[in-house]
Amino acid sequence: MMPQDFVPVLLTFAVVGGFAGIALVATHFLGPKAYSPIKQDTYECGVDYIGDSRSRFSVKFYLVAVLFVMFDLEVVFMYPWAVNFRTLGTFGLATMGIFLVILTVGLLYEWKKGALEWD
Amino acid sequence: MVIGLNHYLILAALLFTIGVVGVLTRRNVLIIMMSVELMLNSANLTLIAFSHYLLNAVGQVFVFFSMTVAAAEVGIGLAIIVTIFRNTESLDIAKLNLLKN
Amino acid sequence: MQTIIFALLALVSLFSAIMVVTRKNPVFSILYLVLTFFCFAGFYVMLGATFLAAIQILVYAGAIMVLFLFVVMMLNLREPEELEGKNTLWQTMGAVVAIGFGLLVLAFLGRSPGAGVPNFQPGEEAYVMGGAKALGKLLFTEFVFPFEIAGVLLLAAVIGAVALAKRKRV
Repeated sequence: MMPQDFVPVLLTFAVVGGFAGIALVATHFLGPKAYSPIKQDTYECGVDYIGDSRSRFSVKFYLVAVLFVMFDLEVVFMYPWAVNFRTLGTFGLATMGIFLVILTVGLLYEWKKGALEWD
Repeated sequence: MVIGLNHYLILAALLFTIGVVGVLTRRNVLIIMMSVELMLNSANLTLIAFSHYLLNAVGQVFVFFSMTVAAAEVGIGLAIIVTIFRNTESLDIAKLNLLKN
Repeated sequence: MQTIIFALLALVSLFSAIMVVTRKNPVFSILYLVLTFFCFAGFYVMLGATFLAAIQILVYAGAIMVLFLFVVMMLNLREPEELEGKNTLWQTMGAVVAIGFGLLVLAFLGRSPGAGVPNFQPGEEAYVMGGAKALGKLLFTEFVFPFEIAGVLLLAAVIGAVALAKRKRV
C-alpha cells in the first residue's frame, strides 16, 4: 500500500481531533454556566463519594494486563501467518503448531499457579 | 525537498538523545522505563528507514522481533518495579542502594 | 505533501518526546508517549511498513502503554512531586554527556547532506514489501527459527511475570 492510500486515515484523525477540539471550545462559549457547591460535586445527582480516586489497585489487575499483552503478541504473530496460510502449506501449520504449543505451556503454568483465579 | 534516508536518521538520532537524557536525568523509575521505550522505538525507526531506502525487508522482520522483545521486557520490568515498590514504598531509584556498601 | 506531513510528524514527535522526559506526573508522560508512538506509526506508513505501523499502534500504543498506566494507577503516589529531589552531580553530567552525544551524531550526519548515506528514492516495490503478506512470507520461511525462539521468549515473560507479581497464597 502506498502512503497515499492512508489519506482517509489522516482525514479521520483530522475529523476526530477537530470534532473534539470544537466540542471543547464550543461548550466553553455556548453552554450556560452555573456554579454552586452542589453543581461542582463529582456526582451531582448521585451518591456521595467516599475518599478520593487515588486509592491503590490490586496487583491482580497487573497480572491480567501482562497476560493480555503476551497473548496479544501471540495473536499478532498469527496475522501474517494467516495471510500466507495457503502458500505456506503443511510447513506453516507445523511451525505455528510448535509456537502455540510453547505458549500453551505458559497458559498451563499460570493455570496451575492460580493466576487465572481472582481470589 | 524530498525526504531521504538522511532526514529519518537525524530525527531518530534526536529522539534517541531525548531518551538518553531521560534515562540519565530522571529518578522516577517508571519514566526511565518510558525513556528506554523511546530509545527502542527510535532504533526501530532507523531500521525501518534503512529497510525502506535499501529495499531490504529483513530490517522490518527485525523490528517485528524487537517489538516482541520490548513487550516481554516491559512485562517483566514493570513486574520488577511492582515488587520493588512493595519493599521500598517508593519509585525513586536513588533509594535502591542496598548493594552500595 | 509528503514533506509537509514528515515535518509535521517530526515536530509533534520531538515535542511529545521532550514532554515525556520532562513531566513530573507519570500519567502525563504516558499520554505523551502514546502520542509519540502514533507519530512513529505515521513514519512507518510513510516508509511503506504498513503492517508494522498497525502493530505499533496495536502493541505499543495499545497494550504496552495500558500496562504502564496500570502500574502507575496501581502504585498511585499521592504526591508525584515529592519524588524529584535535587538533581545530583552525576545527573547533570549525564545530561551533558547525552546532549553531547546527540550533537556528535548530528554533526556526523550533517557534515554535508547525505555524506556516506545512500541518497536514492526507492520505487513502488518498497511499498509492497512492508505489507502483512510479504512480511509473513519472509517471517515463515527464512526466519522460522527466530519465530519459535520468540515463542520461547514470550513463554519466559509469562512465567516471569506470574512468578514476580503473584502474591503467595496465605
